[in-house]
Amino acid sequence: MINLSFSELIQHFINGLTLGSIYALIALGYTMVYGILKFINFAHGEILMFGTYIGLLIYDRLRGGALPGSQTLLFFFLAIVAASLFSATLGVTVERIAYRPLRRAPRLAPLLSAIGTSIVLMNTAALIFGTKSKKFEYPFDNTALNLWGIAITPHQIMILIVCVGLMVFLKLFIDNTRLGKAMRATSLDQDVAALMGINVNSIISLTFAIGSALAGIAGVLIALEYKVYPTMGTMAGLKAFIAAVVGGIGNISGAMVGGILLGLLETFGVVILGIPQGLKDTIAFSVLIIILLVKPSGILGKAVREKV
Amino acid sequence: MTKFFILQNILTYLTVSIEKESTMKKFGLAVVVFCLLLPVVTFAAGSGEKENAIKIGFIGPLTGDAANYGKLMTQAVKIAVEERNAKGGIGGVKVVFLPEDSEGKPEKANAAIEKLASVDKIYGLIGGVFSGESLAIAPRCEAEKILMISPSATHKDLTNKGDYIFRDVPSDALQATVFAKYVREVMGLSRVAILYIKNDYSQGLSMDFKSQFEADGGTIVGMETGLQGDKDFKTQLTKIKALNPEALFIPNYVAEIAQILEQAKQLGLNTKMLSADGFSNPEILELAGDLANGVIFSGPEKEDPAQANAKTAAFEKKYEEKWGEKPDSFSLNAYDGANLIMDAIQAAYDKASDADKKALNLDRSLMQKYVAGIKGYMGVSGEITFAPNGDVIKNQGILTAENRQYKQIGVYRIESGKLVKVK
Amino acid sequence: MISFIQLLTVYIGIYAILSLSLNLIVGYTGMLSLCHAAFFAIGSYATAILMLKIGMGFWLSTLCAGVISAVLGALIGLPTLRLKGDYLAIATLGFGEIVKNVILNWDSLTNGPMGINGVPMPKFFGFSLNPLVKWQYIILVWVFVAITYFILRRIIHSRLGRALAAIREDEIAAFAMGIDTFKYKVISFAIGAFFAGVAGSLWTVFNQSVTPMTYDFMLSMMILCMVVLGGLGNHFAALVGAAIIQVAGEFPRLLGFSSVIPAQFKQIIFGLILVFMMIFKPEGILGKEKAKPPKGVPAVREGGVQ
Repeated sequence: MINLSFSELIQHFINGLTLGSIYALIALGYTMVYGILKFINFAHGEILMFGTYIGLLIYDRLRGGALPGSQTLLFFFLAIVAASLFSATLGVTVERIAYRPLRRAPRLAPLLSAIGTSIVLMNTAALIFGTKSKKFEYPFDNTALNLWGIAITPHQIMILIVCVGLMVFLKLFIDNTRLGKAMRATSLDQDVAALMGINVNSIISLTFAIGSALAGIAGVLIALEYKVYPTMGTMAGLKAFIAAVVGGIGNISGAMVGGILLGLLETFGVVILGIPQGLKDTIAFSVLIIILLVKPSGILGKAVREKV
Repeated sequence: MTKFFILQNILTYLTVSIEKESTMKKFGLAVVVFCLLLPVVTFAAGSGEKENAIKIGFIGPLTGDAANYGKLMTQAVKIAVEERNAKGGIGGVKVVFLPEDSEGKPEKANAAIEKLASVDKIYGLIGGVFSGESLAIAPRCEAEKILMISPSATHKDLTNKGDYIFRDVPSDALQATVFAKYVREVMGLSRVAILYIKNDYSQGLSMDFKSQFEADGGTIVGMETGLQGDKDFKTQLTKIKALNPEALFIPNYVAEIAQILEQAKQLGLNTKMLSADGFSNPEILELAGDLANGVIFSGPEKEDPAQANAKTAAFEKKYEEKWGEKPDSFSLNAYDGANLIMDAIQAAYDKASDADKKALNLDRSLMQKYVAGIKGYMGVSGEITFAPNGDVIKNQGILTAENRQYKQIGVYRIESGKLVKVK
Repeated sequence: MISFIQLLTVYIGIYAILSLSLNLIVGYTGMLSLCHAAFFAIGSYATAILMLKIGMGFWLSTLCAGVISAVLGALIGLPTLRLKGDYLAIATLGFGEIVKNVILNWDSLTNGPMGINGVPMPKFFGFSLNPLVKWQYIILVWVFVAITYFILRRIIHSRLGRALAAIREDEIAAFAMGIDTFKYKVISFAIGAFFAGVAGSLWTVFNQSVTPMTYDFMLSMMILCMVVLGGLGNHFAALVGAAIIQVAGEFPRLLGFSSVIPAQFKQIIFGLILVFMMIFKPEGILGKEKAKPPKGVPAVREGGVQ
């Protein structure tokens, strides 16, 4: 334990919380797809990235050189819509081409296909949009609010709110609508769901659409602070995936819990333990392993009894 | 185009044989044989064409996280080669530029240098970009007598790898030493924090800065690290803020610098920012905008704009017209490196007999002597003189950004261990 | 061009050892391990450090590298191999990242991002093997490949191998039959790690340097691709997979148009090859289709008994 003033401690905590909500945002899409298909969509990060580029394109086109104001907020909202629509389409397309043919294939085949897809998408984006980082101008004034010596920006608050909001929205959708029910049924047992009259292919496409749309939204929100570049999906994807698993993969609220925990560990946890920041990944992954050992299905996951 | 034809045929063969369900073992054997035959086939196809050209190469990351750096450098070399060919090439022979992707990894760089050396028989190489890959390919270049001038690898040991290994970027030791002395003596600071990235460029500069700064009586109040590709530095910056330093040294690449500047402002860390030649990439002025103003950094000496033959300005203008973006200091180094190599080839060509000229049988050791003897060469990256070990001796510029433009504050150099102001 | 092909042959050989060793873990024992690059890294760094800082000879350091990797593999296996399926995969993924992270940060041991270079050449009865003279390394590496292949074959046909196959097919049934599944899983993991460490050792002396950048998650995925592409559970297939992936990765350079097309094209082609290979032949080039056995007939083992 090292000497930390109280305000410093709180600042670290806030940093961790908001970083965590970023992970949670991306993890939502991941966990949805895995929950329904038991499939790790390695190309999720790249779908996020591509959607973000499209969002940036629309945003810059509409905005011109305008300064932050209510107009830019509108344009920003439109950019988010564009990004999510594009990502959704891209996700469904990828599923159709690269994953659907492999549904009955050996377990590892879709994994490799996903890797190949992510490589193709990342490099295509680099070719089309260039390899430089691009700035996504804030649609609002992002000066930090200074509350009792602790800095928090409007952007961080926005991410927290959107994350929670999306999570609640998703839960309501899954729990209360017919489509949601169909999705839950498909996730439990695809064959039985089909027998029950559910069009499994459509449900799967819908899942990918929603999950990918979430990725697109997440990407645009994150890009404000992290910029847009072709490899932005890779680490985001990996971290988010860890978050999803830690929280209980397939569980919507689990994504939130996992993301926040991961974010806190990486910032707050490292400081508390007094380790150089360069080792934050080690901490994060070590905790991941510990959690998997103690509760393999994740913090909020349901323990699945293996049938003999 | 014959190569594409062959490729097409091979792909057809592959897909057809995959669909034909012949017995597994036979098929597997066919695949292995195919993999072994392919290079032989291409070798046969390739060796038929013997172009009359002088070849130089580039090895660096053209894909992956650092792709942009490689791209900026190759663009600079392309301009150099074009200009040379417009003047008739070397002895009337066209110069051909072959850029190869290393993905930033030494093993890919090894494969690249293998191809460039044995297939293309290049005379000179601009590269590698990172110290890791440069150190890996240096022995090969030395063995093949390929002139290697790295525009950006700053590791101390690089030029010791051989007589053919040069660099026209100031080594860590030089740049960091000058800057540390500047910060201590001219700026008068005594408490500096460092936030560096765990890559060879940033870490090398940081360590050398620290040792010089402390040797001169300064204190490094804190050293924080981040990883390449990290976007969030709030933890490190929060810790640094608590230490209350007089300045923060961030000798990183622009992507990380932009994030650090922005997040420092958000957190209310309003200390002086210091950086290194990575900051000379104009991309930072776009990414960080007004936050970049006021950052003081060490970089290539900027020429006097009033000078009659303002070489650098002319080159930057040409570069921007052709490629739509401005070059960074490493690209300037690459341009100079390419020209030096081509000048060296020209020198060897001039000394060759007529028969050798025709057969393009040029003396590589003459090329080496030429480059080793370079003194006071006025390039776009500054005045270049090579030390006996292949390191460049250049004046170090101290610059800052003002109104989203670069401005030079002074030019310095080390003479007998003392900081000397040149301009 | 010959020189370039020779280099590729050496690389294919080293990747073949990696692929063979991963095949034991993934193909034969059925454990999805995503951290093979980590064992490769441990072996590479072990050799680099032992040879450079202690002055150990190549042959001894290779053995040490393998043993260190195996020990670490067993240590990692002890907690994580209790997990199943995708959770195991994630745990190994985490471990892989941890190793890379530690190497990057442990400057005093590994030189951090600077890497270790200037590794001395291996000596064979007083004769130095120079990496610039490729054919020496082709022989060296492929001798190791042959040794690995035969050792692993012996393992497969032994009691250990049968236990592993049983675990792969149905772990619960194997456990019910009295096989100490956990023990055998750890052993399999450690053996795979051992050979990956040896491969790392060869890598170090051939490149004469090591940097942390090489051992990323993508490398683990590539090795996995080699195993799957060739066909799981089939040692010869692992070799085929290694060859294909390496050649596919160096396609443009081989055909000479690497300097003409943007570098991204090469990656795109590679990605497309992966996708199409999976769509058209998901069980791998030499894999057998998993046949559904009629009731009462023993199931056909994937890959068969080679």
